Amino acid sequence: MNVVLAVKQYVTKMVDDSGQGMKVLLMDKETTSIVSMVYAQSEILQKEVYLFERIDSSARETMKHLKCVCFLRPTKENVDLLQQELRSPKYGLYFIYFSNVISRQDVKVLAEADDQEVVREVQEFYGDYVAVSPHLFSFNIVGHCQGNNWVTPALTRSVQGLTAVLLSLKKCPMIRFQNSSEMARRMADNVRQVISKEASLFDFRRTDVPPVLLILDRRDDPVTPLLNQWTYQAMVHELLEISNNRISLASVPGISKELKEVVLSAEHDEFYANNMYANFGEIGVNIKTLMEEFQKKSQGQSKVESIQDMKAFLENYPQFKKMSGTVSKHVTVVGELSRLVGAHNLLEVSETEQELVCQGDHSLALQKIRSLLANDNVRDIDKLRLVMLYALRFEKHSNNDVTGLADALAKKGVSEKLRRMVGAVVDYAGSRVRSSDLFGSKDAITFTKKFFKGLKGVENVYTQHNTLLQELLDQLIKGRLKEASYPYVGQAQLRDRPQDIIVFMIGGATYEEALAVHNMNKTIPGVRIVLGGTHIHNMKSFLDEITHATSGVSRHTSGRRW
Amino acid sequence: MADSEIREGFLCPICVKDLGTISQLQQHFEDEHSTEDKAVLQQLKGLFGKAKRKILAAIDSDEEDTVDSGPSGHPGSSTAVSQSVDAGGIDPTLWEPQEIGCMRSHTDFFKPIRDARIDRYVVETNKLIIRLDKLVGPDVPSDPSRRKIFEKKVVQWAPDSHVNLCMTCGKSFGIMRRRHHCRLCGGVMCDKCSEFLSFSYAKKLTDPAFKPGNDTPLGIGFRRSNSTSSLNSMMTPEGEPHIRICWECRKLLERRAQQMEHRNSRPVIGQFYEKMRQHMETAEQLIPVYTQAAESLNLGEATYNLADAEEQKRKLVKLYEQIDALSKRISSMGLNDTEPPPAKMVQLQKAIRFHASQFIQENLMGLTPLPTQEQLVQLQAKRKAEIQRKIMLERQATMERQEKEKRAREEKERKQQEEIKRHQRKSSNDVIRVRSPSRGHQVPNKGWMPPDQSKASAATPDDDPMVQQMNNIKHYIKQAKDAQKWDEVHMLEENLKMLQSEFWRQSGFQN
Repeated sequence: MNVVLAVKQYVTKMVDDSGQGMKVLLMDKETTSIVSMVYAQSEILQKEVYLFERIDSSARETMKHLKCVCFLRPTKENVDLLQQELRSPKYGLYFIYFSNVISRQDVKVLAEADDQEVVREVQEFYGDYVAVSPHLFSFNIVGHCQGNNWVTPALTRSVQGLTAVLLSLKKCPMIRFQNSSEMARRMADNVRQVISKEASLFDFRRTDVPPVLLILDRRDDPVTPLLNQWTYQAMVHELLEISNNRISLASVPGISKELKEVVLSAEHDEFYANNMYANFGEIGVNIKTLMEEFQKKSQGQSKVESIQDMKAFLENYPQFKKMSGTVSKHVTVVGELSRLVGAHNLLEVSETEQELVCQGDHSLALQKIRSLLANDNVRDIDKLRLVMLYALRFEKHSNNDVTGLADALAKKGVSEKLRRMVGAVVDYAGSRVRSSDLFGSKDAITFTKKFFKGLKGVENVYTQHNTLLQELLDQLIKGRLKEASYPYVGQAQLRDRPQDIIVFMIGGATYEEALAVHNMNKTIPGVRIVLGGTHIHNMKSFLDEITHATSGVSRHTSGRRW
Repeated sequence: MADSEIREGFLCPICVKDLGTISQLQQHFEDEHSTEDKAVLQQLKGLFGKAKRKILAAIDSDEEDTVDSGPSGHPGSSTAVSQSVDAGGIDPTLWEPQEIGCMRSHTDFFKPIRDARIDRYVVETNKLIIRLDKLVGPDVPSDPSRRKIFEKKVVQWAPDSHVNLCMTCGKSFGIMRRRHHCRLCGGVMCDKCSEFLSFSYAKKLTDPAFKPGNDTPLGIGFRRSNSTSSLNSMMTPEGEPHIRICWECRKLLERRAQQMEHRNSRPVIGQFYEKMRQHMETAEQLIPVYTQAAESLNLGEATYNLADAEEQKRKLVKLYEQIDALSKRISSMGLNDTEPPPAKMVQLQKAIRFHASQFIQENLMGLTPLPTQEQLVQLQAKRKAEIQRKIMLERQATMERQEKEKRAREEKERKQQEEIKRHQRKSSNDVIRVRSPSRGHQVPNKGWMPPDQSKASAATPDDDPMVQQMNNIKHYIKQAKDAQKWDEVHMLEENLKMLQSEFWRQSGFQN
């Protein structure tokens, strides 16, 4: 059930199977990010892969002494490009791997293009998704829908990606989907169709309890992507944006050249692996320990007097260098995070957000939001965040003052484009659209639960929020997920407690949800959960998503001016 | 005592300490290593269980108390292990290794399709090559008209009247567009579509020992038609004879030329690279051997020879130098030439160099250093002392432990006896009374007499020669221990044990 390992094993196998000798890895845009997420360059270098080329690049030169390992998505363009490539091959031998099911017709076209007999292998290896963490994958699609409907290429890609996940993990699941979402239903049907069409591929050894695939729609929980985050990974993504494990620090004042772009990969960075789910406060402590350790080492390094010292220095040098890289990287990242937190009153903003979402005292919330909107240190995007959350939370409240807040935003010079988002988010995922009880006001049980939680007091005011996903998974594991709201595709139903769960979020998942899934994996015995989404969102990409979804669609709230 | 002695007894699998008895070993393991490895512990338990059953079966029924009290020995510990198995879930990074995902191969579908095409090419090409061989052979007449007749004899030309269109461009022939024949397939095309193959290049193609020379790079052998003069079909402007062929034939010949060139060419970088990889592989095989030797030597063991290890190290360093040199050569290849190599080539060379330096850093820089000869001697001496100290400690521990066990047992017995006595007062059971004093004698032991037993042995007169002998030996053991002569202690203890068992046997007879 480890998606990182699954993709890595594929890449390892294709590189190993091509045998000894210098190799070039020929990829397309998407497979490049797929591979880069699981293999560090230095690591794949050890496997004699010395060049990385894009099949659509025109700057490639003929090098007949290289073996070419092609890892490509089975798209029309790729088949065309590959056909051209084979007619006048630039490399000595070709080992071709497609990341998904390819039609026989396309294989035939390629076979007829291979006049020079350079192709040794043509295979399908189903590494057709970006493996972010062992339990988290993404397809990097923004703008998956328009109005309430899939954009066709996005649907195709998502179904391909999700079936690839199933194939790479060797799971043939029972499928459940969110009944209120037409998109979830369509996707579930399409996945089912692929499974029955490729029945020979999905013919795995049956397990006692079949795995479950749960398909959800982001619209049921528009709140999570709007919140500020306080765990390392989620926070970095929210404030600095992680894209394929890379973050850009170019905007950090006084940054040195080699730190302009850094890689944060749990696979290759021990400190990050240990701290990606840690709270911001803990990281501060841990980074201090890391610093001290490093200082001790570097002091040890400084006195190179005797030959013995030199020997020791040389022996430790690679490790030392690696450590110094790690230290400076994390110190810079954490430093930048805390600068942003301080400069933009993020603590105060976050506290207000959390109270808004979790407690919902209208007048108190409104008062706090007003005062934060007046504060010049608070970033526009955070002001917008608050107003959007308010609009969602008190959509049906009788004294709701969204108009007043929107005016306040305008007065503070927040751009028209951003201000439009307040209305857009309600269109996208307002109470009219949502099926679940996101704020826990309808259901008596959740209401009392909340009440008691309020009595006990909260441990951390910045992390009160629990994702809806966590609650759904909890119900699913306990066998209490309502069948009316989350029906099965087909007749079969699961009677036992599910063990292997793959949950897919149409419209993108978040790192907060990834953390929740991680914790569930860690604490619930016998259950393994993998989370995926069309994208991994932060506030910014979520706004893009909403813009896409609502553009060109008549607004239900037309006539009102925000 | 040799350094690489074989040790027997109840050794702890982790710290190799001799623990005397099973129960002791188990106790020790649970105390010291319970946190280390559950799997080992479990395995060990299984082993103990088996051993216990065996020993229990083998040992005399009245000696069973020397072994621990049977399967119910440590109820707490076994549950502790099973508890830890499924407490909570698992971190996704620690999920058990999975088999590689699903795969599907199209190679078997791909190859027949390709091969069918290739076969056709190969047959066609071979036919052309045979014809070409004749056409450029030594008996070609130099006179144009006779040459034409000769060419017609080799290849059946298509009759002009049957062909109205050029087979390449499809335009109709007339006064302005004359018919020309391909000398290889006999087809008809226009002059514009004609290709010309020089004799020298054709000879290279037909020569089985073809080597691509630097003078004729690929493709230069062909020339497009640029003149309408009929003489041109025989001679190039430079006066070299050439033959007119069609585009199809040219394509087939070019394909063959490319394949031949690829088969025969071995770029310099490839050769260097292969050599470098060979060295790397040799080094990779050598490193673990060397590391093992070096570590063993550093521990002061005498399993490996210092001179051999030094030799290995020299070899490794030499390999490292060669790898370094080769990779440097690869990376600087062609950089000083007048025409710098293409950017991708430079990138490749740099990547190879990077790979090599990474390899060196990881594998060879961190080599375990070897001790010098003097250091080695010191280390070995230290190790010897250490081993002896450990053995002594273990032995002492064994004795103490056995004493403890015995004391506990006798305590139990005494209680039992008291119980029985109390019992007797009520029910006066004779059998037990007869049996009970003899039990005290049955325990073989060295050097320590429990109070009640000493009374019992005091009852047997001191003049028993065996008892005197035993006392003497005990005295010697003590002396030897003081003098730290462990070999002697060991020997004496063996003697003592023998005497004791003999003594018990005899006294058993007497009773």
